Amino acid sequence: MAALLEVRDLEVRYGSIEAVCGLSFTVQAGQVVSIIGANGAGKSSTLLALSGLVRPSGGSVVFQGEDITGLRADRIVRSGLVQVPEGRAILNPLTVDENLELGGWIRKDQRAVRASMEQVYALFPGLAGRRRQLAGSLSGGEQQMLAIGRALMAEPRLLLLDEPSMGLAPLLVKTIFDTIAAITRAGTTVLLVEQNARQALRISDQTIVLAHGRIFREGPSAELLADPVIIEAFLGKA
Amino acid sequence: MSGRRWLPWAVVLPIVGLDLFICVRNPGDLDRLLINMILALSAFVTLHAKLLSLANAGFMAIGAYASAIISIKLGLPIAVSIPAAVLLCAGVALVIGMPVLKLKDVYLAICTLGFGEMVRVLIILTPDLTGGSTGANLSTGFPYEAMKQTRTWMLGVLLALLAYLFWALSRSRIGRAFRALRENPQAASTMGIDIVAYRRFAFVLSAMIAGVAGAFYAHSVGSLDNGDFKFNRALDILSYAVLGGSGQWFGSILGGGFLTALPILLREVLGASVGFLKNFAQLPNIINGLALLLVVIFLPGGLASVFGAGRKRPGPAAAGPVRELPDPDKATAPSEAPLLVLEDVSRHFGGLEALGKVGFRMQEGLIYGLIGPNGAGKTTLINLVSGLFPPSSGRILWLGREIQQRPAHRIARAGIARTFQNIQLFREMTVLENVIVGRHTHIRTSLLSTLLRLPREGREERSARADALALLERLGLAELAGQRAGNLSYGDQRRVEIARALAMHPRLLLLDEPAAGMNEIETRKLGAFILELKKHGYTLLIVEHHMDLIMKICDEIVVLNFGRKIAQGTPAAVSRDEQVLEAYLGRD
Repeated sequence: MAALLEVRDLEVRYGSIEAVCGLSFTVQAGQVVSIIGANGAGKSSTLLALSGLVRPSGGSVVFQGEDITGLRADRIVRSGLVQVPEGRAILNPLTVDENLELGGWIRKDQRAVRASMEQVYALFPGLAGRRRQLAGSLSGGEQQMLAIGRALMAEPRLLLLDEPSMGLAPLLVKTIFDTIAAITRAGTTVLLVEQNARQALRISDQTIVLAHGRIFREGPSAELLADPVIIEAFLGKA
Repeated sequence: MSGRRWLPWAVVLPIVGLDLFICVRNPGDLDRLLINMILALSAFVTLHAKLLSLANAGFMAIGAYASAIISIKLGLPIAVSIPAAVLLCAGVALVIGMPVLKLKDVYLAICTLGFGEMVRVLIILTPDLTGGSTGANLSTGFPYEAMKQTRTWMLGVLLALLAYLFWALSRSRIGRAFRALRENPQAASTMGIDIVAYRRFAFVLSAMIAGVAGAFYAHSVGSLDNGDFKFNRALDILSYAVLGGSGQWFGSILGGGFLTALPILLREVLGASVGFLKNFAQLPNIINGLALLLVVIFLPGGLASVFGAGRKRPGPAAAGPVRELPDPDKATAPSEAPLLVLEDVSRHFGGLEALGKVGFRMQEGLIYGLIGPNGAGKTTLINLVSGLFPPSSGRILWLGREIQQRPAHRIARAGIARTFQNIQLFREMTVLENVIVGRHTHIRTSLLSTLLRLPREGREERSARADALALLERLGLAELAGQRAGNLSYGDQRRVEIARALAMHPRLLLLDEPAAGMNEIETRKLGAFILELKKHGYTLLIVEHHMDLIMKICDEIVVLNFGRKIAQGTPAAVSRDEQVLEAYLGRD
């Protein structure tokens, strides 16, 4: 079976900084793949290059058998690859409803969009009571849920999540990871970048460990969770 | 990059060639060329400070009329009349700057445009003094009309002096402060930079430069017509600076030179030789517009930006040996009063109560944690203490003195530094420059020593640089010193923010989610670093969701929920508190 996403020799540079240097990996449909690594290892840059927000300086990205390397971000979203950006990027002056509506911008069938919206509110009951509230007035945790919900509105085949737990209170971190698990159970493939390595390893099938823009380790998450090198470098003693 | 080294020259040489051509071929236009270059600098100053001002034509008119009136009616030499006119411009700019500089962007543009028109109406309404709409009684008797060469020389020297002024300022702490405030005024103010004063300085300087250009304009044309200072003039001046780019001063000189010389060239070469082109009187305007359009599209940073690509960024080469951390500045004597006290501090946003009657006190030398669910008011509290906005009610005492009404830059100077939850670096500046901005208030130089480039200036700059590098080294960022700050990863940017805040040698450091975007190992390193800061005598208030970090390093923790304080105490006590477990930590 062909992989849902196939990345080959991906490179990203910013001026003289080489953020990603020749990265190759695949994501199979239905999996959760997590990318962990230290700061500046190239995790976010990889996601940005996949979603077209940053132009890769080399390599290729094949999604559902189609070469999407260097396409514009809006074209990539239409092909079914949708990113939830680091820092949420919520549209503050719009209401929760409007944010979700915009998430479904590319879809024609308005009735189906409405239905998706109700599904999102079912997934995040906390948002349902705030449909007419301005997104900017939501708390950090609610904004993160809105950002994920907005991405789901585009009915992605592959959802990219960039540090969904960042800046969230401990109780909410748990909720967010529960939500990610629920999303994958519903059939969406997820590529997850996280600093919370322990949680990322727990909820994913495969994990890629990046260091200095290259793959340092990769394999089934369960194995890496027990790998002494990974424990030493990312998890610390529990 | 190296393949495009020719680019700067490909842009600059034709323009310089064009200007030289005008000088040789048509010396009569040389004055105009020089005056427009000076006007371009006046627009650059405001644009560089992110002020969209269209007042330059108005100040040019004031300079022109004032110097003409003083020279002709009072019979004084230009050595008196021109400086007097420039001072008048400065005074007017100071007065109208007070209300007008509170406005932003388009609103400022409209207001300054109105000012320019007001000046013109005043001229028309005072015919006895100014000649009114015809300029009749100021059309003869300019004392230096005959001294064409002297005047051109004076203009040349003036432009050279201004170029030197801009060069010296751009390399000094003043230039750095301008770059910082144009990128992020809020962050700049928390570094102790008085952004209101800097904006005022830019506005006044711009007015003076426009005034001197106007004065020379009057004396070189030899007659005055208020129609010369209309709206079009304001737009022309602005377009010189836009074409040149708001980032670097020499771009404006190029821009002014180009947009002045091109129509002259077209007139000379085309107009004379091809008869039918004479029918197109607007041709030069069209071509100027086209040139402006092309530059804006293909060189969004203006002409000067062609130098940006090849410009060498200051490298990390000068890093010295790893030094001890700096100690906090404790200029004020240790006092009996606690370092910081909050008394019933509240803050409302519209009908929303973000913070309600929160009070606690901080002793010097301890680490305080501030925790609570998202939206509990933690960042609001940090914003209040750092002076970004005042509390709706309540008092904040710093060493026993009320500071709740002080603006951010004064709070920063008093010894309170901060980082931001949503990172606020000066993204276009290098990592090293960012940290040096943190040294801004500590660099002791005067305007005079900056302009004369006295040895002290260099010494102070070098020591600020060394301090900044040492801090970067301590935070493991030395290798990134020469990089554009916006290129760094999230976690590295957070550490640059900490370095920048520490460069202020603050007595109190407010950290808003310093470990967000860091993994467990990095978080642990950050914890060790914070403990080291404590050993050096720093006091810290830390907002954070990484509980292992907070519980390990804090001496005392304040817990907020829905804007209210629900608990305060040692980590052990807080982590057992029923309310805290319920609202924040969860039980498992």
